[in-house]
Amino acid sequence: MADKKEQPGDLLQGTLDLLILKSLASGAMHGYGVAEWIHESSQDVLRVEEGALYPALHRLELRGLLSAEWGTSDNNRRAKFYSLTAAGRKRLLQETEYWQRMSGAIARVLQTA
Amino acid sequence: MATGRLGKFLQRLRASVSSRQVDRDLDDELAFHVAKRAEKNRDAGMEEAEARYAAQRQLGNTTLLKERTREVRVFTWLETLWRDFTYALRALRHSPGFAAMAIATLALGIGSSTAIFSVIHNVLIEPFAYPDANRFMTVEIHDATRSGDAGRAEYSAPEFLDYVEKNHVFDLAIADASEDVLFQVGGGVERLHGVLCTPNTFEFFGLAPLIGRAMQPDDYEPDAPPTFVLGYKAWMSHFGGDPTVVGQTYVLNGTARTLIGVMPRRFGWGDGDVFLPVKPTREERAFVAGEFPPVWYLMGHLKPGVTVAQAQADLTVIANQLSKVYPKSYPPHFLVKIVSATDMVVGNFRTTLYLTLGAVALLLLISCANLANLMLARATAREKEFAVRAALGASRWRLIRQLMVESLILSVCGGAVGIGLAAVGLNSIVALIPPVTIPAETEITMNLPVLLFAVAVAMLTPMIFGLVPALRAARNDLERPLRDSGKGASGTARQGRFRDAVIVCEVALSFTLLVGAGLLMRSFLALRDVSIGMRPDHVLVTRLPLPSERYQTAQQLTSFYRPLLGRLRDLPGVIDVAETSALPPYGGFPTDVEIAGLVHKEKWQALFQLCSEGYFSVLHIDVKDGRAFNAAEVNDARRVAVVNQTFVRRYLVEGRAAIGQRVRVSDLENFPDRVAEPWFEIIGVVGDVRNQGLQQPVQPEMWLPYTVTGSGQRGVLVRTANDPMALMGLVRREVWAVDRSVALTYTGTMENYIHLQSYAGPQFGFVLMTVFASVGLLLVTIGVYSVVAYATARRTHEIGIRMALGATRSDALKLVLGMGLRVIGVGVVIGLAASLALSRVLASALWQVSARDPLTIASVAVLLLGIGVMACVVPARRATSIEPTLALRHD
Repeated sequence: MADKKEQPGDLLQGTLDLLILKSLASGAMHGYGVAEWIHESSQDVLRVEEGALYPALHRLELRGLLSAEWGTSDNNRRAKFYSLTAAGRKRLLQETEYWQRMSGAIARVLQTA
Repeated sequence: MATGRLGKFLQRLRASVSSRQVDRDLDDELAFHVAKRAEKNRDAGMEEAEARYAAQRQLGNTTLLKERTREVRVFTWLETLWRDFTYALRALRHSPGFAAMAIATLALGIGSSTAIFSVIHNVLIEPFAYPDANRFMTVEIHDATRSGDAGRAEYSAPEFLDYVEKNHVFDLAIADASEDVLFQVGGGVERLHGVLCTPNTFEFFGLAPLIGRAMQPDDYEPDAPPTFVLGYKAWMSHFGGDPTVVGQTYVLNGTARTLIGVMPRRFGWGDGDVFLPVKPTREERAFVAGEFPPVWYLMGHLKPGVTVAQAQADLTVIANQLSKVYPKSYPPHFLVKIVSATDMVVGNFRTTLYLTLGAVALLLLISCANLANLMLARATAREKEFAVRAALGASRWRLIRQLMVESLILSVCGGAVGIGLAAVGLNSIVALIPPVTIPAETEITMNLPVLLFAVAVAMLTPMIFGLVPALRAARNDLERPLRDSGKGASGTARQGRFRDAVIVCEVALSFTLLVGAGLLMRSFLALRDVSIGMRPDHVLVTRLPLPSERYQTAQQLTSFYRPLLGRLRDLPGVIDVAETSALPPYGGFPTDVEIAGLVHKEKWQALFQLCSEGYFSVLHIDVKDGRAFNAAEVNDARRVAVVNQTFVRRYLVEGRAAIGQRVRVSDLENFPDRVAEPWFEIIGVVGDVRNQGLQQPVQPEMWLPYTVTGSGQRGVLVRTANDPMALMGLVRREVWAVDRSVALTYTGTMENYIHLQSYAGPQFGFVLMTVFASVGLLLVTIGVYSVVAYATARRTHEIGIRMALGATRSDALKLVLGMGLRVIGVGVVIGLAASLALSRVLASALWQVSARDPLTIASVAVLLLGIGVMACVVPARRATSIEPTLALRHD
């Protein structure tokens, strides 16, 4: 179910997707929560632009990797909560494995002189 | 939730349609995000307002973010298209005049062209459903010395057989003859139109019967059991479409015949109700005793590879041989013409149809030109609007798309109305076409390829002419239109000239159409003015075919008609009655004549009719000399005759008195009920009555008492005080009171009969052409109005300046009128040239009117100039009511 617009070297969009999927692995979250989680988990290195985040979230939802529900947040506001679908979980595993393989290969290349 | 491509597609589609919900959700989602971040900022120590502001700033350009997210969820192109659509509708609603004119123009163009092309296709190109029908040919013998000769296409049986045996160009040849078939149905007798067919007829036409079978070679043998085949129309009207009738026996003309099959609807050869098998033999014998032998109409199918020219050559050779065997049937100098089946039936109507085709093509051109002009004018007026939109960031593609959508809306509306007009128009035309002008089996339906063509034209024209301003608007120079508040001249000089040129062309085309319509109208009126020589009003006509087994001699015939005439005379409301064998404006049996005591070199011929004593008074034919016959002379079958003035002029010159001369009517010797020594004494001379149609010169004619022979078709005429048709029932009752087995046919009024025979064809052409000319005139009015109105509006500023500088209101009026009349004037001049050039085309359809008739042409010119003035009225009034101060301020 790969998005046909994604080229093999297009890591940026794919990376964001991967991070989003990972962030939701342990439970449902709203968009703001996802942004904060990524920021915290990367120890402030990665900061997700909202301009990229929301389009990505909606795209993943449309593709069926995420499902969404409207609920009330802890401050009694209406918020949209995203969670992984079965397909999303499978995709997460695939992408993680792929990413690890790629980054390992790149690391090896960089190590040689 | 559905996943996969289809699911995604459907979701996006759904979201596009209910996009408001999507927007609201997105707003909420982002608002929540901002609120959470503001909260975090507050926790970090910022002020309330500061926290909010920082959070908002971090989110960035909300609008852009929302749009980008939206793009994922909805079909943006669908949304913009919908928006373009609603915008276009609004724009059109704001200019209802333009929209109405554009749609009307389109609809008229499409409607008229589709309707006419359909008729032409079905009548001229594919009138018959028979396979290979365009290779069906008839053979006509024309008198080479008479230019208007209609020719002879009917042959005696032995002649027919000779042609079939000797020719080398037809692989199948058949013939048919007409026959009255009296058929007992219920308690009365009806007359059906019978067609006698020679062997191989059904193979020739190649259409399989609907039910049952057609005739086989065996059925044509003289000793075969009598059979017949039923035509579709008769099957529906007389047998109720009942399939079980096949195999049953019916009595036709006294013979019991088995019905073996029914033909399909598109088999209409000879417009026959029933088809009877006959094998013609060399002994020329009547089909039924006591009747004239049938005349056979030959039809052959050209062998593959044989051309018409070859057939003509071959048949001319044969005709030359046969003219020695049957000298009486051939003129001394004759021509053989091979005529296709279509031509034979359609004949003169073909000219009318081609004229109509030309007219409609012109009409289509005019409407396209009009539409182009309307759109260009409108586009130029909106230049500023498009410049503003381009300045605000609309892409070139976007502007073009916007205009295309507008054009599309116009096309669709115009096309829909046009198709409706075409359907209505087609039905009206079919109702108007005179019945004898097209083949009976032709079906006229809307032709799909033509409709698609017309719709394509309709869609393309607005698109093309709507594209021009879009392309111009999307150019880079935005400054000029924005600065230019319409104060300059009406667009560039080049645009103005183009618009004017288009209108000039329209006017010229319309001129041509109007002249055509005017000439046809005058021709038709001239035809109506032709004096027939009698008064056909208030006369009922009916033909009475008598069962031939009982009515063969003059005595038998008289024993029917004498009491009948008496009874009819006694009916209330009847002024006079007569029996007759022929009806004006066509008349009678052709015969050679001899006059006692006169010698002549060339052949003398005349027409003769058999009638009763009341004939001349029923039809109000003037007696110029002597008298008509009286009842006693008719009852005794005395050998007296009445002749017409042409007869006297042609054969009795040198001051010889006509009364008392003795004339030999030779053909009476060949009648089945033969008249021996057929010498008749002239006792009266009457005024000429048309007997070769309305347009051909009158032939010499004689009238004889109907009682002299028992042969020949007869009928009665009844002159009534009131409406003739009201007496129909009573007449029928009296006929059946005398003899139950007589059928009434061709019943109607004399006026109707003449109308169908002589006026219906020209009337059709004239009505149609007038309709087109009117439509063309309407289109031209719209065109002139739109151009002048637009130009005036653009020049409001200029007019205001002029008036401020001292021009009067009448000067403004002259300016506007000048604009309109200049265009029309040039158009009229060009149209005049075109009409003169095309005059030859129209000439063949005209009668007694020159194709360059100055009165008609002058009237049309005046009419168009008048229309021009009328079209300028509204803009002129607006121009003269301009307040100079307002105009100068006008943007």
